Parts: sequence; structure tokens; C-alpha cells
Amino acid sequence: MSFDIAVLGAGPAGMAAATQAAQRGARVVLLEESPAPGGQVYRSPPTGFVIPADADSREGDALRAALMQSGAEVRTGCRVWGVGGGPLVPQGEASTPFRLDALGADGVPFDVTARALVLCTGTHERIIAFPGWTLPGVLGLAAATILLKAQGVLPGQRVVVAGAGPLLFAVGAKLLKAGAEVAAVVDLATRGEWLRALPSLAARPDLLARGAAWRAALTLAGVPVLNGHRVLAAEGEAVLRAVRVVRLDGTDAQAIEADALCIGHGLVPATEATRAFRAAHRYAAEEGGWVPVLDGDRRTSIDLLYAAGDGSGVRGAAAAPASGRLAALAALHDLGMLDATAHNAARAIPAREFTRAARVGSAMARMMALRPALVTVVAPETIICRCEGTTRAQIDAALDDGATDMNQVKQYTRCGMGPCQGRLCGETAAEIVAARVGGREKAGFATGRLPLRPVPMEALLGDFDYADIPVPAPAPI
Amino acid sequence: MDAARQRDMLIGVANPLRIAGISRPAEVPFTFNGKILHAPSGEAVASALLAAGIRRLGEGLDPTRPRAALCMMGVCQQCLVRVDGRLAQSCLVPVRTGLVVTSA
Repeated sequence: MSFDIAVLGAGPAGMAAATQAAQRGARVVLLEESPAPGGQVYRSPPTGFVIPADADSREGDALRAALMQSGAEVRTGCRVWGVGGGPLVPQGEASTPFRLDALGADGVPFDVTARALVLCTGTHERIIAFPGWTLPGVLGLAAATILLKAQGVLPGQRVVVAGAGPLLFAVGAKLLKAGAEVAAVVDLATRGEWLRALPSLAARPDLLARGAAWRAALTLAGVPVLNGHRVLAAEGEAVLRAVRVVRLDGTDAQAIEADALCIGHGLVPATEATRAFRAAHRYAAEEGGWVPVLDGDRRTSIDLLYAAGDGSGVRGAAAAPASGRLAALAALHDLGMLDATAHNAARAIPAREFTRAARVGSAMARMMALRPALVTVVAPETIICRCEGTTRAQIDAALDDGATDMNQVKQYTRCGMGPCQGRLCGETAAEIVAARVGGREKAGFATGRLPLRPVPMEALLGDFDYADIPVPAPAPI
Repeated sequence: MDAARQRDMLIGVANPLRIAGISRPAEVPFTFNGKILHAPSGEAVASALLAAGIRRLGEGLDPTRPRAALCMMGVCQQCLVRVDGRLAQSCLVPVRTGLVVTSA
């Protein structure tokens, strides 16, 4: 199937981009991995579940409703594993339409082609390794929001919430409301850091009020909020029993009994697709890490390839729809479907919205930026890569042996070669490398490779059989 | 008593980890490693296992570090199980009647 514009990812940016483009007459396809559009913040519960509405669900429902009326073709539950076309053609040949290869919700492989491609791939969570982080009972902060908001399931009955950023307080307050006991909130940030972030929140009083309500709920319930603390270890035999925490200066260690630890150290933009297309990237710690180089209209360095939402730099869900609309308008203009005057008029409002919402988003993203001190203290025996079992000592040994960047460390140690493809270990490993080679720019990133997501080989092969392999006629002797 | 809570009682969602006040579809049976479990139709398999008190999903390469659901959004691959024989991320697969789930 051929389209004018394909959008990858149906979070707030992707939904808004597809809606905008389809409303203006483009043939649009939107591909999403989850069973329904929404993304993580506006994730909808499964069919048949009725969860009481909150501010997030109302905003998500509004974006979903507009998308459904826009005429864009929405394919959910499909796993996009391949990207091609565009600049990925033999040297000297003209670029072709983009191609996305996917495994459908029905298990049947399919592909779509489109003249322009808008990537709205969102983020995944950064969890810096610590002893015991592989124990069952330890899960991500974002995972906790999904369990609470979209599944109606508690991660545990007595929960420690730890890490950095506003998600700490969102998860803490939601756990309380849902009936769990919150044993403690363990915040890397000091009170001073939060106070300094406050002025930037003034641009969106609604978000500021929500954050204040979360904190008030925790205070009212008598939940200890430990500022300037980190998790030293998760402890237990078969499953989590206690969380050992300590002040950032190493004093005041204490163990807190819990059956779940929800921990997250910020969000990392998912740049697999822009890396696969070999677009230009830059390292921006305060935006979550490596991000594609973009112009003000979300154009990447590759013709007709755009990136929007948190996947192109963490600015928060509130800023994402405006950046999606900017990308859609730029694509329409670049495809000759929107003239310069109309484009200029149409982009003014989303450009203003983005700037305003991004101010708050940037302040929160700074709170969630990677703290190198957390990586410095990772012990040699700690597992960094859960898929391959690579420890810090093995990464250090690779560096001693002469590895100089992330690709080499991957080849020396297999760190990042497992099924998560480095999404979980990448940040810890890169920071270890960066400390030795002189910064994240020098450490680089693992080259983008297909498949973008693991896919079962049998699903891709379909009915193809060994006997179907074409065998050329033998050459005459 | 509100409608959601009434329905919860009707279908016997008395699990301490399932949040009250949410209306859910009827529970359906499925199996994990041969054990019959019940969960609302459509709930993610990973959530259903968590609610059933099952956190160890697979033993990975090393028996000292079992796998458990970590990201719940299809990224980490830690919740891999076999669903009807095929490798799948349990956080992305909805519960349906008769699913046969085994550790991977």
C-alpha cells in the first residue's frame, strides 16, 4: 500500500501528526505497536475495561477521537521491524519512497510505502544498574504508570518509588489512590533542585497544580520523601524483600521492607529509526541523550524524514501534539501539498504552543537527565546488560583492552546484543565508556541496525520453505 | 454501591493487587506452566501473572537471575514467555480464553 505520509508511533505526537496531515487531504497511515493508539502517557485501557477518567485520559480521548475522524488509516498491534527506501538505496541512485516492514496484529507480515515519513517513536525508561535490579519485584516507574492507569493492577502491596523526575510523585500518588502502601519516595533530586525548577513551571499552571496535588497526597498520607537519596541495592532471595537506600554522600543507609520497587532515572529518546536512516544526531543530556538534529519544523537531516514528540528530545506529553502538527505541516509543504503562505499561516499556532509547553517539559527533562555520579558508583560485579549477563567488570576489561567506543564495547563484550538491543543497558554502558574516553560524543552510540524490534523468524518467513530457495542452474562443466 | 464495584463483586475480583472501582470484562481461564489461572479478558498476560502472584517468568541464561516484567511497554524483553508455543512479550499479549502460556 502506498501513502503520502506514514507516521510511526501513535502517542500524542503521532496521533496529532496523522490527524493534521489527513485533515488536509493527505493519504496517511499510522502504525502503532500497542493494541490501541495513545502512547504511554495517554495509554487507553484494554477493550471492555472502564477506568474512572482523569486529566490524562480526557486529553488522550480527545486526540484519539480527532484521529478516528481524520480519515488516517490506523494500524495498531503491529510491530515495525524494518525501515528502508529514502536515502537507503545503492550509491548513485535517486532516493525512493520510504518503506516500513511490519508484522501485523494478525501475525501476517506486511509493508507500506510512503513519500514522507514522520517518526514519533517516544522514549524508553533509563534505569541505571544497581545490585539486585534483576530481582522480580523491581520494575520501571513508567511500567508502574501503565499497570496503574491502563491495567488496574498494583505492582505490589508495599511499594518503594525511587529515581528522578516528576514521575516519582505521579506514581506515588497514584499508588496511594489505588490502595497500595507507599513505603517511601526516594528522590535523587534535592529540595533545592526542585525549588530552582519551579519558575519554569509557571508557564503551565495546570501541570504545576497537578504536581502540587501529587506531593500533597503523599504528605497527607505520611509517606517519607527522601530527597537527595539513591537506591543502594534491592535485596531478597527469590523475589524482592527490601530496598536499601542511602544519602547521595553515602551516609544514613537504611533498609525499607517492600514487595515492589518502582524505579526510573529518566527517559531516553528512541532513536532506532533515525539511526538506521543514518540521520545526523547530537548528544543533548538535558533532552534525554542522543537526538536527531532537527530544524524548527522537525525536519531531520534526511529529505522527507521528520521526527516529533519525546522520541526527538524529551519535552513531555503536553508539548508532543504541537511538535507532531509541525512535522505534518512541514511534510505536506515539502510534498507540494501545502503552499508556502498556507504553511506559514498554519504553523504559527503549533509553533507557539510547542514553545510554551516545551518550557515546562525542558525543566522536567533536566530533572530527569542522566546523573553520571550514579554510574560512577556501579560496582564491578553488577550486571549491566541483563540479556547477555555482561557485568561492569567486563566492560571495564574491554576498555582496558583497547575498546574506544560503544560499537567496540558491544563487539568485545556482547553488551547490547541481546533481545532488548541495548535499550536497557545502553545508558549505563555508554556512561562507563564516556568516563574513560572523554564524553558521550566520543563514546558514540551503537549503529542503528535492523530489525528495529525483535521479530520471530518463523513469522516473517510465513509459508516460505527450505525447498523454495531458488537454486541457480549449475554452470556447464 | 457503584456499578463498577458491584460488577467486581459479581465476577469475584477479590485479588488484592487488582485495583477496586474499575469495571472489567468477565474473567476467563488460561494456563501458565500447566496451572489454571483466571483473569479479565483483555488484561495483559504480564499483569494477569503479576496479579496471580507469579513474578518469575523465565530463568534466562543463568538460574540466579530469573526474568520478570520490567518495562511493561514492549521494550525490555524481560517478560518473554511462550504463548501457544510462540515467543511473545507477555506485557503486549491480552489474556484470552484458553491461552497456553509457558516460561521461555
